[in-house]
Amino acid sequence: MGTITFENVSKTFSGQTEVRALDGISLSVNEGEFVALLGPSGCGKSTLLNLLAGFEKTTEGTLLFDGETVTRPGPDRGVVFQEAALFPWLNVWQNVVFGPQVQGVARSEYESRARDLLKLVGLEAFADALPVQLSGGMRQRVGIARVLAMKPRALLMDEPFGALDAQTRLAMQQLLLDVWQSLGTTVLFVTHDIDEAILLSDRICVMTARPGRIMRTIPIALARPRSITSLTSPEFMAYKAGIMSDMKFETIS
Amino acid sequence: MSLSTERIGSQPATSRAPDSASPIFSRAGRRSLRQGLLAVVLPAMVIVVWQMAGTDGSLFGGVLPTPDRAWQAWKVWAFGSTGLSLNPYSGTWLANLIFSAERVGKGFVAAILVAVPVGLAIGWNRIASGALDPTVQLLRPIPITAWLPFSIAVFGIKDLGAVFLIALGAFYPIVVNTAQGARDVERNLIRAALMMGAGRWTVLRRVVFPASLPSIFTGLRIGLGIAWTAVIVAEMVAVKSGLGYVLWDAYYVGRMDVVIADMASIGLLGLISDRVILLIERWVLTWRRLQSFQS
Repeated sequence: MGTITFENVSKTFSGQTEVRALDGISLSVNEGEFVALLGPSGCGKSTLLNLLAGFEKTTEGTLLFDGETVTRPGPDRGVVFQEAALFPWLNVWQNVVFGPQVQGVARSEYESRARDLLKLVGLEAFADALPVQLSGGMRQRVGIARVLAMKPRALLMDEPFGALDAQTRLAMQQLLLDVWQSLGTTVLFVTHDIDEAILLSDRICVMTARPGRIMRTIPIALARPRSITSLTSPEFMAYKAGIMSDMKFETIS
Repeated sequence: MSLSTERIGSQPATSRAPDSASPIFSRAGRRSLRQGLLAVVLPAMVIVVWQMAGTDGSLFGGVLPTPDRAWQAWKVWAFGSTGLSLNPYSGTWLANLIFSAERVGKGFVAAILVAVPVGLAIGWNRIASGALDPTVQLLRPIPITAWLPFSIAVFGIKDLGAVFLIALGAFYPIVVNTAQGARDVERNLIRAALMMGAGRWTVLRRVVFPASLPSIFTGLRIGLGIAWTAVIVAEMVAVKSGLGYVLWDAYYVGRMDVVIADMASIGLLGLISDRVILLIERWVLTWRRLQSFQS
């Protein structure tokens, strides 16, 4: 449940000038694994996520989710967007239960789960608030809760904490670690933040730009459960030094 | 205690009155009161100058009546007896106002019922856009006044002709703004809905429509203004009742005082109906008002 397979996947955007966003991507993610896609902006990491989400179609290659070809977006792959993308006219509760509602799930089935999720992300007191009344971090917590309300087999997260201030980002990373450690859902996480990638993931795919390729895959063997205190450990620093030298090579070439 | 000391004693109390009264009005309340007063300054000045420029109740050698004559004419028009009066307009103001308002209401609602779905389709669906938008854009430059002969030929001197013209006039701004709103829906909101398992119809109903509401209301306000223009034009030519009919009829018999009173009535009614739409908009778009309040 929640396995992802990219086999030699390429994506070309047609237009006045063709852009080859992804070139020959091969990547497998196992059930319950946390994989980060790390790279500079414009390296196609978000495109890779959009292909898996079903928002974009592959140009070449095979893309499978749990053994089935991805054709369209669906609640089995919950996407968390950078700017949360909450519906501004719905309050927090209505945003969280939107998924189950449109899928025709009975109220009795989703209600208690949604309430538990709001508690999990610390927003049970804000059920009636509108998105505009929330801070960026709170909005993103709603974004996570609404995705979890659908019981997805994989979470696809597109720089979800990229727009938050440093302190809020740390709190959100801790929250995500806690949630993931209790649920064990497969996660594909796009980021340009090296610390974030090391802290959260089992494996980091370092990407290069134009065309987007996976340059290197680095397993992160830091002990779990992790917390933001891991950010200062010697093992962490060793991983960071290694990745930074890779990235430096990338900017020189 | 003499009367004079009493008066002196009461003076501090009166001079303190504005201060002690000020907590009754909030700062926002005082500001809106000030804006309200500012708003009437210019019209009041125009009326005063206009009144003073006239001699013997008229200007320009009897062509234009002074405001007090128009006011007198309105009073007879509104409250005069309807029976065997020599004045054909006596006591018919409210009835004519209702005739016009009813036509505007019918035409405007008809325009909304057609324009909003069509606009959403044009903005949301490429096939609908290709099939409908060119026709809308082709017909849009034809002013409603140009449709008058067509309307009379098809519907005759009847209510339906006027309602048709009003609906047509209001249709264009509503459809254009709705389509723009539907086109401009943030892509990630649509993606989020699809990701959560919503079908295309659900996305249209639960995402594209609410996201387009700010634009739709812009269209409604412009459309309502055009609807008032259309009703006057239609009534001047295509029917025998309403403020537009009275306007033209009064002009023909040289009753410029009634013409002025009629014009003022149209303006007032247009203003009130616009305020009503604005109130509904504020109520429907609470989520947007909070946003602008925060930022």
